[in-house]
Amino acid sequence: MLFATLEHILIHISFSTISIVITIHLITLLVRELRGLRDSSEKGMITTFSSITGFLVSRWISSGHFPLSNLYESLIFLSWALYILHTIPKIQNSKNDLSTITTPSTILTQGFATSGLLTEMHQSTILVPALQSQWLMMHVSMMLLSYATLLCGSLLSAALLIIRFQKNFDFFSKKKKNVLLKTFFFSEIENLYAKRIKNTSFPAFPNYYKYQLTERLDSWSYRVISLGFTLLTIGILCGAVWANEAWGSYWNWDPKETWAFITWTIFAIYLHSRTNPNWKGTNSALVASIGFLIIWICYFGINLLGIGLHSYGSFTLPSK
Amino acid sequence: MPSPASYLLLNPAKPSSSRLLPPPRLPARRFHVSCDAPRGSAGARSGGGGGRREVVPAGASKAKKQIVFFDSAPPVSSSQPQQGGGSATEKGEGETPTSKGGNGNAALGLLRRVTKRTLSALSNLPLAISEMFAIAALMALGTVIDQGEAPSYYFEKFPEDNPVFGFITWRWILTPGFDHMFSSPVFLGLLALLAASLMACTYTTQLPMVKVARRWSFTHSGERIRKQEFADSLPRASIQDLGVILMGAGYEVFTKGPSLYAFKGLAGRYAPIGVHLAMLFIMAGATLSATGSFKGSVDVPQGLNFVIGDVMKPRGVLSIAPDVFNTEVHVNRFYMEYYDSGEVSQFYSDLSLFNLDGKEVMRKTIKVNDPLRYGGITIYQTDWGFSALQVKKNGEGPFNLAMAQLKLNGDKKLYGTFLPLEDSDSSNPNVKGISMLARDLQSIVLYDQDGKFVGVRRPSSKLPIEINGNEILIEDAIGTTGLDLKTDPGVPIVYAGFGALMLTTCISYLSHSQIWALQDGSTVVVGGKTNRAKLEFSEEMNRLLDKVPELIGANNENIVDSKSTAT
Repeated sequence: MLFATLEHILIHISFSTISIVITIHLITLLVRELRGLRDSSEKGMITTFSSITGFLVSRWISSGHFPLSNLYESLIFLSWALYILHTIPKIQNSKNDLSTITTPSTILTQGFATSGLLTEMHQSTILVPALQSQWLMMHVSMMLLSYATLLCGSLLSAALLIIRFQKNFDFFSKKKKNVLLKTFFFSEIENLYAKRIKNTSFPAFPNYYKYQLTERLDSWSYRVISLGFTLLTIGILCGAVWANEAWGSYWNWDPKETWAFITWTIFAIYLHSRTNPNWKGTNSALVASIGFLIIWICYFGINLLGIGLHSYGSFTLPSK
Repeated sequence: MPSPASYLLLNPAKPSSSRLLPPPRLPARRFHVSCDAPRGSAGARSGGGGGRREVVPAGASKAKKQIVFFDSAPPVSSSQPQQGGGSATEKGEGETPTSKGGNGNAALGLLRRVTKRTLSALSNLPLAISEMFAIAALMALGTVIDQGEAPSYYFEKFPEDNPVFGFITWRWILTPGFDHMFSSPVFLGLLALLAASLMACTYTTQLPMVKVARRWSFTHSGERIRKQEFADSLPRASIQDLGVILMGAGYEVFTKGPSLYAFKGLAGRYAPIGVHLAMLFIMAGATLSATGSFKGSVDVPQGLNFVIGDVMKPRGVLSIAPDVFNTEVHVNRFYMEYYDSGEVSQFYSDLSLFNLDGKEVMRKTIKVNDPLRYGGITIYQTDWGFSALQVKKNGEGPFNLAMAQLKLNGDKKLYGTFLPLEDSDSSNPNVKGISMLARDLQSIVLYDQDGKFVGVRRPSSKLPIEINGNEILIEDAIGTTGLDLKTDPGVPIVYAGFGALMLTTCISYLSHSQIWALQDGSTVVVGGKTNRAKLEFSEEMNRLLDKVPELIGANNENIVDSKSTAT
């Protein structure tokens, strides 16, 4: 009982804090860069991170097994992984654009998890015999970490595409519903332009800052996706070895396995398309954006169908 | 030579010292690995330096990649003219291989040409990418279309008179074998093609890269250094200091006179080769599994036994039954453990293996995720059932009542049995009796002869129950264990491939960084490049170069005297 209340409190702390953080982030992007606000948004992220970690740990203790047995827990773990991704560049002391991507992703994931759609899964449940294995920790956590990393990387590529084809989107800018999109991805450039346009000693490169930004996004996207690809490989192979131990065959063409393999193939195509200098940039970013959709199909779409050996994560939408 | 001060003006402060324009194509001496790099731009920029190699002329902008056969150790540099016959120069390679000139045998020459052409066609990168796309698309299709159903199912789902999406009839599904997509010839053929592309690309591109990557070279030209992706110059510095700082940062540093070469992360160049080799391993192991394994599935009530060879079926053409198939498996006991809530927590089977002489060779209790391995055979716990209920009626018995599985929607099972209270004869087809239902081996629910619920009993409690004047005592619940047996010769190979793939994928994340430096009077010109982590490299370089001490005062003259400038 104690753990249940603890979990309840922690999850609500983290959800409200991340909402505040996201609001602060929006304000800094849209209105002004306020130093004090940015610091407090960082502190807010740290608070959320610790409360999510506390939530997962208490769930682990109270249920006796690693908190990754159904869709709800895996979504919370996914948002935790996105936090980790947000923190890594800070540790390395390199300036990053990742926070623009990771913070909204985290809140959306967590919001979906805590929303009314999945309330029956909030209770921690017992583990069925097939999941009682050490491999559970290794396989599922690797897969979720890789999903988080690949999602981030493919969103960076999508941002690159949008920035590069900004001209084509100009006629959208009048419409209200694209305001959010525009402010997230365009206003950074506008800020840069506004602040430094006075400094004319830089070479007269017409789209210098846009070029710089796209180069950085490209480079970051490549590194993040490479890391995610490594994790995805390890996750899939762990799953295959586990399947061999549990069911006797390491590959069953289960829908979830197949879609994980498709995700792996798409990102392998991305990595290969970067070896050719002609295709670097736009084409590989296109592949990575397709990868974004594929990941969601793999993670969520299959669970909606609820078939196959991976049915632990399935849920049915409530019929209204 | 411009003064150091003007250098600072022309090349602004560190954070923006990275090149603004895309880096120019480096001379052909640098190894450019791409399965199909555009040849036109390479031709536009002639490879400098005499005595090195010919570059493909600019006119051959659409020329296919040419393959090199390394029959003997190629010389480091030679200016042999292009020879006909077996060999051709490959772009980016540092050596011209000696041809096999003297091939008197025309058939052998033809074979070599055909092989070369196939290899160059197969190792084409766009082909490989389109193969991967095609495989991904087919896999996605395989998850959407229901697999493994009878043809009549597809006749119903994709009728000819009302096609799905306007054109997909059952002919579209059944002819290419899409109802068993993952073993259909189309899919397997694509996989084989991808494997061939992998092998061709490994042989033609990556193995040569190993040779080239190991060679490092000093430059004596400050111009060439400044053209690198990252370039900078440090006035009043010494190349020895730079070398020491680079060594501290984990680089391997080599100096020769005034020039310096350092690299880090060379494993990141080799690792993709390892990745491809590991994938080939896995494919080979999977092929072996598909052709040489045995699989079997059996339900054995507690107390009975079976011979392994009786239940195993070969899966492929290369399956050879080993001697261990003569072993007999005896199920000593099958039981389940439960949570407090009543849900099943685990299934256990206590198995004993006996060989032909009747000697017990192994005994183990297996559970899900913990199989039994013996002589290459693995026995997994996969299923369970209810075999019989042992009851005593009014002290008589015990009777074994067979339990039948009742149909339920979903995963849960339900078993039932019936104990008649009257004699059944032809005059009275409706015999009354006691019904017993069970969801698991733990509790039995009893109903009287009118179908009314009477009570629940656990076999372990040994408590009797009174129904319709009869005293029923549930003695025991005898379960059936569902076992899956498998022998698979490909598994060790596949596991080795898995391990190698995991390791090499991790290593290929490393970025291969190279730094060249030249002591130019009292200035050190530094240039570097890396293949993956470009942003991090420039930041790291900035940090390192900041650490190089600036030499002031009297030391200047010494350095100017002792160094020979080579511009």
